[in-house]
Amino acid sequence: MSLKLKKENIDEAVRTIMELGGKGILNCVQCGACSAVCPGVKAGFPVLCRLLIKKLTTGQLEEIIEEPSSWGCQACNRCTEVCPQGVRPQEVVFAFRRYQANEMAISTSTTTSQMNFYETGHAVYTESSKELRKQVGLPEAPPTTVSDAQGLKEIQTLLENSPMGELGFF
Amino acid sequence: MAKVGVYVCHCGSNIAGVIDVEAVRAFAETLPDVVIARKDLFMCSDSGQEQIKQDIRDGLVDRVVVAACTPRTHEPIFRAACEAGGLNKYLFEMANIRDQASWVHPHDPEGATEKAKLVVASAVGKAKFLQPLEDKFVNVTDAAMVVGGGVGGIFAALELANMGHKTYLVEKEPSIGGIMAMLDKTFPTNDCSACILTPVMVDAAAHPNIEVMTYSEVVGLDGYIGNFTVKVNRKQSYVDWNKCTGCGACAEACPAKAGDEFNQGLNDRPAAYIQFPQAVPKKAVIDMESCINCAGRKIGSEPKVSKKTGQPMLAPCEKACPADAINRSLAHDPAGSIEEVNVGSIVVATGYKVMEKESFKEMAPESPNVVTALQLERIISATGPTGGKLLRPSDNKKPKTINFVSCVGSRDEKHHTHCSRVCCMYMIKQARLIKEKYPDINIYMHFIDVRTAGKDYDEYYTGARKMGINILRGKVGGMEILPDDRVRVLGFDMDQQEPVEIESDLVVLATAIELPKSATTLGQTLGLQFCGSGFFRELHPKLGPVETSTRGLYLAGCCQGPKDIPDTVSQAKGAAAAAAVPLAQGRVKIEPILSEVQPEKCSGCGICVPLCPYNAISLKEWGERPRAEIDITQCKGCGVCTTACPSSAIRLHGYEEDQIMAQIAALTS
Ligand SMILES: Cc1cc2nc3c(=O)[nH]c(=O)nc-3n(C[C@H](O)[C@H](O)[C@H](O)COP(=O)(O)OP(=O)(O)OC[C@H]3O[C@@H](n4cnc5c(N)ncnc54)[C@H](O)[C@@H]3O)c2cc1C
Ligand code: SF4
Ligand code: SF4
Ligand code: SF4
Ligand code: SF4
Repeated sequence: MSLKLKKENIDEAVRTIMELGGKGILNCVQCGACSAVCPGVKAGFPVLCRLLIKKLTTGQLEEIIEEPSSWGCQACNRCTEVCPQGVRPQEVVFAFRRYQANEMAISTSTTTSQMNFYETGHAVYTESSKELRKQVGLPEAPPTTVSDAQGLKEIQTLLENSPMGELGFF
Repeated sequence: MAKVGVYVCHCGSNIAGVIDVEAVRAFAETLPDVVIARKDLFMCSDSGQEQIKQDIRDGLVDRVVVAACTPRTHEPIFRAACEAGGLNKYLFEMANIRDQASWVHPHDPEGATEKAKLVVASAVGKAKFLQPLEDKFVNVTDAAMVVGGGVGGIFAALELANMGHKTYLVEKEPSIGGIMAMLDKTFPTNDCSACILTPVMVDAAAHPNIEVMTYSEVVGLDGYIGNFTVKVNRKQSYVDWNKCTGCGACAEACPAKAGDEFNQGLNDRPAAYIQFPQAVPKKAVIDMESCINCAGRKIGSEPKVSKKTGQPMLAPCEKACPADAINRSLAHDPAGSIEEVNVGSIVVATGYKVMEKESFKEMAPESPNVVTALQLERIISATGPTGGKLLRPSDNKKPKTINFVSCVGSRDEKHHTHCSRVCCMYMIKQARLIKEKYPDINIYMHFIDVRTAGKDYDEYYTGARKMGINILRGKVGGMEILPDDRVRVLGFDMDQQEPVEIESDLVVLATAIELPKSATTLGQTLGLQFCGSGFFRELHPKLGPVETSTRGLYLAGCCQGPKDIPDTVSQAKGAAAAAAVPLAQGRVKIEPILSEVQPEKCSGCGICVPLCPYNAISLKEWGERPRAEIDITQCKGCGVCTTACPSSAIRLHGYEEDQIMAQIAALTS
């Protein structure tokens, strides 16, 4: 199947990404330097930085809405460092993530972390860590929001009032 | 009463695409003193110009206003048309309705049309006060100077000399030759660089009309086209070049060490040295920065006398010289000696430098096995540090895998946004030369895209693919140093959409071509302008590629922008042809748009003298008292003096008070 390029789709994709924070998207010349260093790409998430930009600038915003690659971005920002055109690809990746979130196309791996965050104040918080802490003579719950009800409440209030809260996540 | 003819141009769609040309024409017809208003698709075409000439010949008009593109390119054309029709060419005025209306207001056709009307009204207002002026002429010095002795400078000098003009070739290094002299072989024919360049260098040095001034730099410029005075600093070499035979004995004897510039710092040279084996002139110099004053022979002092032998104790270099050419008793003069040279025109051909690898921290510059392409050029050259054997710098072993990395510092907004233009080709050249000699070496080349647009160039590239050289499309993102002085190259294969990692014994960086700092200083000395990429700016990117905005100064080679040898030589010959024009004519025209002091009004206050940016004004005796006087050869017609004079004694011809006032009136009424 060949790709059908349509001006309206292209304009809409570019506008959406720019509005959501990926301002440099049109600077990209598809040199590939970002993908050469991206740990996400190396780990097998191909549609990051360069290829994500390519797909967006050909107007495939809706076609790739379920693409999981964007959730593999580690926000390491190496792409931003090496990009010769000042695209700041990581911002494009995040803009696309925002778009995906708004459309509720959020990968399951991410929902779990979101819920963890809401419930404990940590994106990554596992049962096994309690055991580990005990072994080295530390209290089971760390002295963070996990054991500070007041602090946790504040985080939850913040989340509820954020765009994430508006999505009806929590 | 003046009879003004107005001619409005469509300039194809340049003007007519935005502006209602007929509305402007009809409006012009209503202006006072306008007797005729016409329009044409292209006023500069034969028929457009003929219309102007005919109207003049018919006695219809005696002032001409053309509303068109820009005086930068077209004023001379319309002035010539007026002259051909029998009208003084300074009775012409241009209304710039392209740059100032259609181009700047493309989204507001009505506004642009209204503005064009105003611009035309202002030109018409001025036109009726225009007065005939006469061109002036001054004689020229029949000699030229070429600054920079690379392949561009050498060819420019030879061309000028062959046309019969005395030519000074000024080069800052001890020898001419420039970067081409450092290259091994040259694309697209792979002939040996030294073999084709050396004979030309010798020709230039032996030419009766060329005076080669190496180890010299231009430090001052005075004058104007036809009559420049150039100050040249001849650096002190401490070697009498009349005696030096270029035998190299001093270099052999000298124990001091400094990085060898010609070999791109890959090895050391002594303080007493000859720049390279084929140097022209082949003369030694002593570089005082690295000289260690052996035997206590401080420069500028008499030798100590040995207590044992009673003989003067000389430094090894002095002792070794069979021609007695080295004189360390000469006083050290860091400023060198200044020579003044009079010439009629100047070609600047000062070339380029490649960026050092140290500018790119992501490219593992600390690894000795990451080299610039110019360093590789020396590594594979028979006169280079390894005698032409391909050995990697860390351990002098033959590399098994080589990676070439393009666009390092080029096409990158962090360094240079321009394409350096020769890298794709020279990398393919280097890869081919290596593959031909050592077919067992693995070669990977990383390009954003391959740019080989030149006669026989793409064939050269596809040939490289046929030889089994691996080409990957994708910019290298970084490098990591591995044990054994190997380097991991983090690349990308665009075709497979996969990142690639290649372990490499040697990595070659095609670093960007840029203007060296020294050239920036020279540019300021000569009054040259710089373009967005940092090179010297030509007069017009298409129509004035060798001229500059200073008449009499011309450009050739990489100082004007990156280019290869064929393009450098072509441009050099073009620049020489342009530089020869004033010399061949024997006199140059000076446009009469100049200021003039009316002595009877001048109070001799002298306020104008220090204000003139071109030092054109001096106070002279006139009658009993001092009066200002303007040297027409220096005046550039900027008008600063006219506005400053408290007695309104200075007139700027072509921009007289009544003319300017009429323009203002037309714009404000
Ligand atoms: C690695 C590499 C490989 C290349 N291979 C090829 C090839 O195979 N084929 C090809 O066609 N092109 C090749 N090129 C391009 C080629 O080097 C240039 O096109 C050519 O050298 C340009 O000549 P030039 O005279 O303009 O400048 P240069 O060679 O730079 O000469 C300028 C001269 O001016 C002198 N100078 C500078 N400033 C002053 C000053 N202020 N006063 C007096 N003198 C001054 C310099 O010392 C120098 O001698 C290669 C370039 C590189 C980097
Ligand atoms: S920030 Fe994200 S997209 Fe950019 S290199 Fe890192 S992981 Fe890849
Ligand atoms: S490095 Fe920049 S220009 Fe190159 S492909 Fe990535 S985003 Fe585009
Ligand atoms: S004195 Fe002569 S031999 Fe000694 S370092 Fe200086 S140049 Fe070389
Ligand atoms: S017009 Fe300018 S250059 Fe000419 S004399 Fe006046 S100030 Fe000097």
